Amino acid sequence: MSASQADLLTALGQAIPAAQTSTEPAMLNQYGCDWTRAYEVAPAAVVFPKTEAEVVALVRQANAEDFKLVPSGGRTGLSGGAVASQGEVVVSFDKMNAISGFNAVDRLVTCEAGVVTANLQAFAQEQGLFYPVDFASSGSSHIGGNIATNAGGIKVIRYGLTRDWVAGLRVVTGTGELLTLNSGLVKNATGYDLRHLMIGSEGSLGLIVSADIKLAPAPEPQNVMVLGVPKLTDLLSVLTAFQQRLTVSAFEFFSDLCLRKVLAHRDLTAPLQQACEFYALVEFDESNLEAASDAFAFAMDQGWVVDGVVSQSEAQAASLWALREGISESIAADTPYKNDLAVRVSDVPEFLEAVQAEVVSNYPDFDVCWYGHIGDGNLHLNILKPKDLSVAEFVQRCEAMNPSIFAQVQQRNGSISAEHGVGLVKRDYLGYSRSAGELALMQGLKQLFDPNSVLNPGKLLR
Amino acid sequence: MKVLVPVKRVVDANVKVRVKPDNSGIDLSNVKMAVNPFCEIAIEEAVRLKEAGTATEVVAISVGASACQEQLRTCLALGADRAILVETDVDVQPLGIAKALAALQAKEEAELVIFGKQSIDGDNSQTGQMFAQLTGMSQGTFASEVAIDGGKVQVTREIDGGLQTIKISLPAVVTTDLRLNEPRYASLPNIMKAKKKSLDTVTADELGVDLTPSVEVVAVNPPAERAAGITVDSVEALVDKLKNEAKVIS
Ligand SMILES: Cc1cc2nc3c(=O)[nH]c(=O)nc-3n(C[C@H](O)[C@H](O)[C@H](O)COP(=O)(O)OP(=O)(O)OC[C@H]3O[C@@H](n4cnc5c(N)ncnc54)[C@H](O)[C@@H]3O)c2cc1C
Repeated sequence: MSASQADLLTALGQAIPAAQTSTEPAMLNQYGCDWTRAYEVAPAAVVFPKTEAEVVALVRQANAEDFKLVPSGGRTGLSGGAVASQGEVVVSFDKMNAISGFNAVDRLVTCEAGVVTANLQAFAQEQGLFYPVDFASSGSSHIGGNIATNAGGIKVIRYGLTRDWVAGLRVVTGTGELLTLNSGLVKNATGYDLRHLMIGSEGSLGLIVSADIKLAPAPEPQNVMVLGVPKLTDLLSVLTAFQQRLTVSAFEFFSDLCLRKVLAHRDLTAPLQQACEFYALVEFDESNLEAASDAFAFAMDQGWVVDGVVSQSEAQAASLWALREGISESIAADTPYKNDLAVRVSDVPEFLEAVQAEVVSNYPDFDVCWYGHIGDGNLHLNILKPKDLSVAEFVQRCEAMNPSIFAQVQQRNGSISAEHGVGLVKRDYLGYSRSAGELALMQGLKQLFDPNSVLNPGKLLR
Repeated sequence: MKVLVPVKRVVDANVKVRVKPDNSGIDLSNVKMAVNPFCEIAIEEAVRLKEAGTATEVVAISVGASACQEQLRTCLALGADRAILVETDVDVQPLGIAKALAALQAKEEAELVIFGKQSIDGDNSQTGQMFAQLTGMSQGTFASEVAIDGGKVQVTREIDGGLQTIKISLPAVVTTDLRLNEPRYASLPNIMKAKKKSLDTVTADELGVDLTPSVEVVAVNPPAERAAGITVDSVEALVDKLKNEAKVIS
């Protein structure tokens, strides 16, 4: 053990019991990174606080002894936000995972930051209620990580983002001050809402230790349709046809290449008799089946859709969802280069074609998987690595294309990161979505909450 | 060859059911209902026989409340040619259903009747067998493979510890096991077309059958809750618990 590492362990030991600290290489490797694989993983230690007091002590120690902290949730982040490359101390919330309170009148559940999203969903269901934020990684992600990234997912079109369900937060700032923000109030017109500043701040302003989460009434049983849509530009006409007739719970899309990848990966059967260029997945309340069928008939008359299926059971609904939710995993072997872009919903078709043209003209040898939450104007662009290209060269070529893609985003006042956050991956491109004035204010906020930059340095902002 | 497929409306297989507070039955409010999964497999098999040119007509039949029309419409969308509902508000049981179906079979004179091997609500696995007895038809139950060959049906049956292949004569009853086929999704264009297909309703009285239940349900109780797991501090403690409490090792 080097002298400086011994010093660090001594410093940590004053904040947290030694049994809750690890420097084992396997642990450092596991806890030092998120879902991204492009960065060096080199934390000095990982700590597992069990109480708010330990978190406060850790932050105070970090200020006093000059070490840096990387907050870590379920490590499913796609932006490198939870990566420790510079000898930081990883603060894992794995051991702060209690659901510590529930109030049926307020419909509020109090969770420690490390509660796994799926456990919160299951808890809500046990109360006859519903936690509507959901995505393919909810079996691993933490509520704290969801709040830190303002996670979205597959039900945003109906239920909004994580932000819409956070009624209160307890946060330890970069100076080690414990703040209680809003505390479950529905109304609170007393000036700046620091809770909302914390949501989406990616661990750069404070460590979230617990949250009051609102729950929704349990929904009716859901039906799922998968529709074949030959032309990209018609996808939004289809969405409109549905929205004019009913409230949809989800409206997702994927291209035929995505479908072929999932079918091969999971050994599933194709939903439609004949392949189609694009597919839309629509979910809605069972009682709206009639209205949804009308929307389908109308879209078919217009020539926007050519075929479709509808689930007859929960099992079928789940296997239709698997076609969409399995995409990310099914292309993992192709080392995809991911961009998570957003424009206004009405700009989507034209934007998507512009970006597609950009990729095809620059790199005709790259396959592109398009899918995403099209009902929210959110597109996941996944460029697949050709087998014979090295990862390094592939990433380099994709990065070379980023400026032209992001320029398309900028032209439409869009976002270069719709829901995956900024972290390390998008940090240097932030200027495409945020003005110099905004960036300066963001730096000022960072300075205010974390003057010694002990929290997640180099993430989100330089 | 005409094929009849009886189908049952049941609570969706993925729904976690709750017992009513007075233990009189299952709480069905706001619960998703679906075609019994084994009946879905039966419909799929019949439709495949029709697509292969072996069957000429597929008729879906349900015995139950008027809401069963929903499941019959699904069968029409999946490829059945017409449907019949024997409408009753009685909480039907296997013997009553088998009698109603036998009365219909007397009129329809189908050569093949494909049942699900059981419905997932009562798990009785009786209706197909009772029907075969009432009509004097041969039967091949728990089928994982069905091949029609002239006047015979070769049925591969899933039995304890293996497979048994039998050959029976038409007219015959077959009940489906899980591995027989993988049912297709209901196509929306076909659902629209199915609206024009005929769905007839008859009553038990018209068929001259008595559906009064012969078995009385006394109480329904949920399974006992499993005790929560515990965390032990050491391997020694684990071994001790496995030996002395769980008694799974010695
Ligand atoms: C297959 C797959 C599908 C996905 N689909 C979606 C999707 O549909 N929508 C979506 O929005 N995202 C999606 N994601 C991304 C990811 O799951 C979300 O960003 C999620 O919210 C991250 O949560 P986490 O607990 O894993 O956070 P981590 O990856 O551990 O961390 C994320 C960020 O939050 C910070 N952080 C974590 N915990 C705390 C805390 N307690 N206090 C302060 N900061 C903290 C970290 O430092 C980091 O910056 C997907 C990921 C995968 C792998």
